[in-house]
Amino acid sequence: MRVTFERRLSQPWWLSVVVPVGAVILAFVIAGILFLATGIDPLSTYRELFNAAFFQTGSLSQTLITATPLAFTGLAAAAAFRMKLYNIGAEGQMYMGAIFGSAAGLYLGSHVSSSAFAIAGMIVAGIAGGAAWALISGVLKAFFSTSEILTSLLLNYVAGLILTYLIFESESYWRQTKGFNATVFPTGKQLPKVAQWPTWTINLQGGIVVPFGAIVAVIVAVILWLLYSRTRFGFGAQVLGDSERAARYSGVRVRRKILAVMGLSGAIAGIGGASQVGDFAHALDGDPNGLQKLGYGYTGIVVAALARYNPFATLLVAFLLGGLQNAGNTLQGPNFPAGLVGVLQGIILFCALGCELLVRYRVRIHRKAAAKGTAAPAPAPKAAS
Amino acid sequence: MATDAAVPAVSMRGVTKRFPGVVANDKVDFEAAPGEVHALLGENGAGKSTLSNILTGLYQPDEGRIELYGEPVAFASPREAIDAGVGMVHQHFRLVSRFTVAENLVLGDRRGAGRYFHIDPSAIATQVRELGARYSLPVDPRARIWQLSVGEQQRVEILKALYQEARILILDEPTAVLTPDEADTLFVTVRQMAEEGRTVIFISHKLHEVMAVSDRVTVLRAGKALATVRTADATPESLTELMVGREIETATRQGRAQPEGVPVLEVEDLWADGDRGTVAVRGVTLTVHAGEIAAIAGVAGNGQRELAEAIAGLRPSTKGMVRVNGRPVHTGDAQAAFEAGIGYVPEDRLGTGLSPTLPIAMNLSLKSYRHESVGPFLRLHLMRHKAEDEIRIFEIKCAGPDQETDELSGGNLQKVVIAREFSAHPSVLIAASPTRGLDVAAVEQVHSYLMQAAEEGAAVLLISEDLDEILALNDRVLVMYEGTLTAVEDRESVSEIGLRMAGGTPG
Amino acid sequence: MNNSLLVVILASGVAYGTPLLYAALGELLAERSGVLNLGVEGMMLGGAVMGFWTVQRVHANTGVALTAAIVVAALMGAALASIHAFLVITLRASQIVSGLALTIFAGAVGLSSYLGNDLNLADSPAAHTFNAVFPKSMQNWPIVGPIIFGQNVLVYVSWLCVVLVSLYLSRTRPGLNVRAVGESPAAADTMGISVTRYRYAHTLVGGAFAGVAGATITLAITPQWVNGITGGAGWIAIALVIFAFWRPELCLVGAYFFGSLQALAPQLQARNIHLGPTVLWTNALPYVMTIVVLVIVSSGTAKSRLGAPEALGVAYVREER
Repeated sequence: MRVTFERRLSQPWWLSVVVPVGAVILAFVIAGILFLATGIDPLSTYRELFNAAFFQTGSLSQTLITATPLAFTGLAAAAAFRMKLYNIGAEGQMYMGAIFGSAAGLYLGSHVSSSAFAIAGMIVAGIAGGAAWALISGVLKAFFSTSEILTSLLLNYVAGLILTYLIFESESYWRQTKGFNATVFPTGKQLPKVAQWPTWTINLQGGIVVPFGAIVAVIVAVILWLLYSRTRFGFGAQVLGDSERAARYSGVRVRRKILAVMGLSGAIAGIGGASQVGDFAHALDGDPNGLQKLGYGYTGIVVAALARYNPFATLLVAFLLGGLQNAGNTLQGPNFPAGLVGVLQGIILFCALGCELLVRYRVRIHRKAAAKGTAAPAPAPKAAS
Repeated sequence: MATDAAVPAVSMRGVTKRFPGVVANDKVDFEAAPGEVHALLGENGAGKSTLSNILTGLYQPDEGRIELYGEPVAFASPREAIDAGVGMVHQHFRLVSRFTVAENLVLGDRRGAGRYFHIDPSAIATQVRELGARYSLPVDPRARIWQLSVGEQQRVEILKALYQEARILILDEPTAVLTPDEADTLFVTVRQMAEEGRTVIFISHKLHEVMAVSDRVTVLRAGKALATVRTADATPESLTELMVGREIETATRQGRAQPEGVPVLEVEDLWADGDRGTVAVRGVTLTVHAGEIAAIAGVAGNGQRELAEAIAGLRPSTKGMVRVNGRPVHTGDAQAAFEAGIGYVPEDRLGTGLSPTLPIAMNLSLKSYRHESVGPFLRLHLMRHKAEDEIRIFEIKCAGPDQETDELSGGNLQKVVIAREFSAHPSVLIAASPTRGLDVAAVEQVHSYLMQAAEEGAAVLLISEDLDEILALNDRVLVMYEGTLTAVEDRESVSEIGLRMAGGTPG
Repeated sequence: MNNSLLVVILASGVAYGTPLLYAALGELLAERSGVLNLGVEGMMLGGAVMGFWTVQRVHANTGVALTAAIVVAALMGAALASIHAFLVITLRASQIVSGLALTIFAGAVGLSSYLGNDLNLADSPAAHTFNAVFPKSMQNWPIVGPIIFGQNVLVYVSWLCVVLVSLYLSRTRPGLNVRAVGESPAAADTMGISVTRYRYAHTLVGGAFAGVAGATITLAITPQWVNGITGGAGWIAIALVIFAFWRPELCLVGAYFFGSLQALAPQLQARNIHLGPTVLWTNALPYVMTIVVLVIVSSGTAKSRLGAPEALGVAYVREER
C-alpha cells in the first residue's frame, strides 16, 4: 500500500476555510487524547475553557483584553510573512512601541488638554518605535542579506532587556519615583487621564467593554487588506512574496520593498505596544514577569499562520486565541498549570501546518500497484477532496 | 551492431502512467535489443521522458509489464534500477555542483568501495581517468562540477552510468547542450558503447540526429507508441508524419528582403559579470534594426543569458551602454528597460518570467500594472478586461483569468509570457530559448509571433541553443562564445556556425 | 594568574559554550541534510526539563542517574524533533513556521513550562550534578588548569562529538550521502539515496543533541529548573551554525566565543567593572555580538561559495510534474 500526494487541478475557494477549521478541530481532538493520557477529563476541561473565554459574565471583556494585542501582533506577522519576510520580532517591536508610546503619553498627557491629540500622538509614537526596531532587521536583510529571522529574534531579547532596564534598573523618565509604592516595587509612571485610551461598553452579557485599541486593530486590518489587494505596492509585494526572480524581472525594487514591509510590520506591532500602555496598563510595564512573559509577539505568529495571513481572518483568529489565552489565565491553578495554553497553541499550529498540504494536494492511497506483470486495478482514490 | 537477438535487453508492454489531468504513457509497447542504439522519437510532451523515468525507477507505472533480458522487473526506486544495470543521462543533470567529479561518481555506490565506511578519494580518481580515456570523455576527477562547462558536465553524467556498469544506457536529449562537433563525438561514443554489447536508448525530438545514430526508431505521439521502424528503412518525412501526424510548416525567413530599418537597439561595448563574480559578457557590440530578427547561437553558459539580462535591465553592466531609439537606457533597472520599450521573454518561464502561484490576470499585467492604476490604486476592472482580451487573442487555454498560473501547460505558459510582452508593443523584443520544451504546434505559434513582431517593426533578438530554430528564423546570425559575440559571414553555413560555437574562426 | 579575568572568562566560556556547541552540532547535522529546524530553543528546554526530572526521580548512584538523565534528555529532544520532521518532510509544511511552532509548543510558555510545574521541579536543586573530573591538583595548573582540566565530562564528550561529526561528514560514505541530500536531493535520489530517510535520521539526531544541550544547562551549569532557563541559547546555536560555515570545528570556536560573552556579565559584576550603563550593556552583549557576526558573515558569503547547503529549507518532491 502506498500513499501519494497529487497536485490538485483546481482549488475550490471553500477549501481555504474548511481546512484551517478542520485543523483546529483536529487539534482539540489530539489535545483531548493527551489530556486523557495524563488523567484530565478533556470534555469538562474544554467546557470550562470556553466558558471562561466567551460565555461567563465579563469573559468577553477579558477576552478582548488579550485579543487586542494578539490582533496587532497577528496583523504584524501576517503583513510580513505573506511576503516571505519572517519577522519574528513582533515581540520586541511591541515593547519598543510601548516605550515610545508611553513616553508620548506621559509628555503629551501633561502638556495638552485634548485627549484625541494625546492618543494620536501615542499611536504615532508607537508606530515610530516599532517600525524603527523592525527596520534594523530590515536594513540588515536588504543590504547585507542577513537572515531577518535571527536578527529580529535576537532583537526581541535586547528589547526585553531595555524594557526591564528602564523600569527596574534605572531612574528613567518612565519610572515612577514618587510615592510609597515606588519604594517597594519598581513601576512605571501612570499615564495622565488625558492620555488614557477610551472604552465603549456594549449592553450585552452584563456589559462588554470594548477598548479603543480593538477598534484601531480593525481599522489597521482594513488598511492592510486594501494595501495588499488594491494598490500598486501590494501588487509588487505579492509578486515578491511569490517569486523573487519574477519580482526583479517585473521591476520591483526589492530592497525598498523589504524595508517597506518590515517597517509596516513593525509599525503595526508598535501600535500594539502603545495600546498595551494606553488601553490596559496605563503605565509602562517593565516587569520581567509581566508583559514579557505573555508572549504576545510569538502567539501573533500562530494567529497569522492559522489565518493564512488574511487580515480579516487574523482578527477572527486573534479573538479566538485571545479567548483561549484569557481562559488559561483565569483558570490557572493546579488543574491548569501554566504552559497548557502554549501546548494547545502549539498543537493547533502543528495541525494547521499539517493540513495545509490538503489545500493544494489530494491524498491517494494505492492498493498493490502494477507490480510483477499483472495489470493493476485502477487505484482506489481515498481522496480528501 | 543490432542483431535480431532472441531475448531483448529491454521489454516494456502495455505500460501506462497517469498524472492528474493527463495520460503521459498510454499502453506503450517498447523493446530494445542488446548492442543496439534505439531511438525514442517524439515531440515535446509525447511521453518520452516519462517512459524513461519509469525504466529508471523514478516513477512507478500504473499498468504494464517490464522485463530486462527476459526477467520481469518492477523497480520501486532508482537504486533498484541502477543495481539492475540501467543508467540514465538526464536532460537536466543530476549532479551535486559543490562536489568533485569523483565524489559524484561514487555517490550511493554500494559495490566494492561502498562496503567500507570511509571514502578513498585517490582510488576513484584513477578509475575516472581510465574510463574517460577509454570512451573519449576526458574530465579531471578532482574538478568541482560548478567549475566545468556544460559539455564537460554531461561527460560526467555519462561516466556516472558507465562507472555503475550500466548495460542499458538512456540518453535524454543529449545534444541540446553540445556544439555540432561535440555532438559528433558523442555519437562516436554511443556507437562504441553499443559495439560493446550495451543497449543505448537515445531520446530525441530531432530527426537528423535520430537518423544519424540509431539502428531502430520508436515514435511516440501523445503518450502512445505509434510504430517501431528500422532507421535504414525510414525517411525524415515518414518519421515526421508519425511524430506529428501532419506536415509541419517550418517557418522560415527565406525570401524576405534585407531590412533597411533604422537601428533600434544599440549595444556598445557592453561588459557584465556573472553570478559568481566572473566576467560573463565581454565587450559586446551589437545593433539590431527595426523589423530585423538577429539570432544569437551558442551553447548554454557562454554568457547569452547574462547578455539578455543586461540589456533587459535585470543585470547591471560594468561598462558600456545600451540605447533604444537613440536614447540611453539605464542598465540594471528592469523598470527603465520596460519603459524604454524593451520586452524580454526569458528562458526560465516559470521561475523568472512568471509569478507561479498568482492568477493569470496578474501575470499578464506583471510589468504594466504601474500604468494600469489611478494614483496608488490599481484599476482591477481594467486589468481583468485586458486579461480576458489577451486570453482570447492569444488562445491561451485556461480556466479563466483567475486561474493559478502554474497550472497551465508549458505551451500555454509561454503564451502568457508572449501575450504580455507583445501587448506592450515593444520596440525591442528579446526572446531567449522561447520554444524549449514546447510541442510542435506551440513551437509554430511562437515562431509566427516572433515574425509578426518583426513585421510590426520591432527589433527582435533571438537567443537560442537550437540551431534549427536559428537557421529558420534569422535575418542575421551571430555566435556567442565565452562572452564574446562574433558575426557569422554565411548565415546558412552550419559548419561555420558550429565552428564559431566551439570558439574557432574560419581559416 | 588563574584568578585573572581572562582565565576565568575563558574557563567559564568553555562551560557556558558547551550547550551551545551540542545544540549547534545537532542543528548542523539537520541542516546538512537540508532541514532547517528553528525549534532548537524548544527542544533544549524539553531536554532540560526532562533531564532534570530524571535526576530528581531516579534513585541510584550519581553515575547512573546522570547517564539516565542524558539519555532521557536526548530522547525528549528527538521526540520533539520528530514532530517537525514529520510535518516538513512527509507533509511538506513550511520549515520556518513549523520550527517556530515547535518552539512555541515546547518552549517557555508551553510544554516545558507545563512539565516543570506539573512535576514540581522548581523547588529544589538538582540531586546530582556534573562536576569536574580531574583532580584538584591538575585544576590548579596555570592557565590550562581551569580552562581545560576544570571541566565536567559533558565538555569532554562534546570535544569527541566535534571530532566524530567532522570525520563523519568528510570521510565516510553516509557523510557524503547526507551532504548530497542537502545540496541536491534530486541527484541523491537518482543515485538511490533515500532523501526521506536521511532527513528524518539527521533531524532526529539533531533533536537529540539539542536535548542533551538543554540538560547540560540544568545539570551542569545552573543545576536547577527555572522556566525558560535557556534564555535564547537555542537561537544563538542556530546562528552559530551559520558562522561556522556549517563546519563542526568552527562550531567549537564560535561556541566558546559566545560562551565567553555570556560569562562576561556576571564576572564583570563580581569585580565591579562597569562597561557602559550597568548591566544592560553586558547582558545584551551576546545578542548584539551575534547579530554583528551574522551581518559580517552574510554579506561575505553572498559572494563566496562557502554557503549553506543549497537545498536547505526546501521540501523535496520526487514525482512533481
